[in-house]
Amino acid sequence: MQASRARLFKEYKEVQREKSADPDIQLVCDDSNIFKWTALIKGPSETPYDGGVFQLAFSVPEQYPLQPPQVRFLTKIFHPNVHFKTGEICLDILKNAWSPAWTLQSVCRAIIALMAHPEADSPLNCDSGNLLRSGDIRGYQSMARMYTRLAAMPKKG
Amino acid sequence: MGSDSIANASIPMLSSNPKDFAKKKRANRSAKLKQCKLDARREQWLSQVKNKGSNEELNGGGGAPGQGMHVANERGLLMEKLVIKPRGDEEKENGGCTNNYSDFDSPSNSPTSDTSLLEGNDSGTNFTGASSSSSSSSSSSGGCCSGSMSEEDNEGDDGCLDDWEAVADALAATDKKQEQLSSSLDSAPERDENVVHVSSPEDPDRHESGLDVSKQKPWEPISPVSFRAWRPDDAFRPQSLPTLSKQYTFPMNLGQHYRGGSVWGCKSLSIPTSCPICCEDLDFTDTSFLPCPCGFRLCLFCHKRILEEDGRCPSCRKQYKHDPLEGETTEDAGSLTFRPTRSCSMISRS
Repeated sequence: MQASRARLFKEYKEVQREKSADPDIQLVCDDSNIFKWTALIKGPSETPYDGGVFQLAFSVPEQYPLQPPQVRFLTKIFHPNVHFKTGEICLDILKNAWSPAWTLQSVCRAIIALMAHPEADSPLNCDSGNLLRSGDIRGYQSMARMYTRLAAMPKKG
Repeated sequence: MGSDSIANASIPMLSSNPKDFAKKKRANRSAKLKQCKLDARREQWLSQVKNKGSNEELNGGGGAPGQGMHVANERGLLMEKLVIKPRGDEEKENGGCTNNYSDFDSPSNSPTSDTSLLEGNDSGTNFTGASSSSSSSSSSSGGCCSGSMSEEDNEGDDGCLDDWEAVADALAATDKKQEQLSSSLDSAPERDENVVHVSSPEDPDRHESGLDVSKQKPWEPISPVSFRAWRPDDAFRPQSLPTLSKQYTFPMNLGQHYRGGSVWGCKSLSIPTSCPICCEDLDFTDTSFLPCPCGFRLCLFCHKRILEEDGRCPSCRKQYKHDPLEGETTEDAGSLTFRPTRSCSMISRS
């Protein structure tokens, strides 16, 4: 408990100090609870998510960093490895491949990398996974871009 | 029973020369070297006794013929005793600090030193008896000679101690162990001779015996490791120097030397001040703790917690191994296992 608090506090200071280090990630801690974080990540370029800003919710367990944080998308996203309704993310480093050396910042980077390289063989979003597995890249990209525009881009007008 | 005789042997030493004793205690890491030195000094002392013996004979012949013969006989007896039990009087000279040695020696060594101490004490008492009777029966010159000799012994000891420490450091640095040591052992009597100012007609003889001493003591340089200033896994070893030397000496030896050329290997050169897992400050034990070949450092607390869970290194995700790499973690456990033998020997002694 105390260890996770100290660790999160250090991560918080790190984030404050290097705010401009990674412009694609904006990591914010809840005002009253250091175990609740939200992140805004930019969709990687040359992907259907380009131009979108996706919000992530972090729920940090007390055993952190020995246990991985629970992360989910608050913004709707059409991605084979993200549950379309709950926003749950299927990512190995958030499950069995977690290492205490990871930070919330590095988790954000991993999620950005996952957005750029979807893994269709272990899908949480079956529709998206099936499109990719059947080779319908164009179908997948258009669906993903549509949802990016709908959910992750600021409304115009 | 051993404890009594040892106490008898060590207490006079303490009272006669407490400063010397303290010095020895402080410099116990060169204990073996000091024993070499004591050997050398004993050789020199022996030869002096021989000289005195011959002088005595001459004096006795001039003065009282009957008593002179008696003295010569006793001298011969004394000489015999010294030659037969050479370790005895050396140990007796060294009564206080032998205790000290066995405290700091490895447990495997301490029993042997105990036994040697016992026999040393036996012969030591014999020897003092003989010398006192001879000095009482002989002329006054013999008595004053022995007195001055012991004083000079002490002074020589103080002077020599630093020299031998310097020699020890030099040996550790150049890493030439046995040969150099034995050669310095051979040269040691000449140096001591300068201190005591003795004309030595039996010089070649003495040198022979000096060589004999070095040969007849195979127990002397038991482990070459003990001649190093710091053992590689010593906690009190300075951090920077051995790390660097290891890095540059064994860059290819990834299997055995865990500071290999990995990315973390470079990082391990600059030891983090806080644990990357829990962000607590690393204390001295933590900074000398290197649990994984990849060089990733963390505090012992986090390491234990990780071992309780999946037991994999946070950096390279390989399983932590329970092998000599963790030598420094088991430092506490090591001292715990050593302590019983030490405390036992302490109890038997006191």
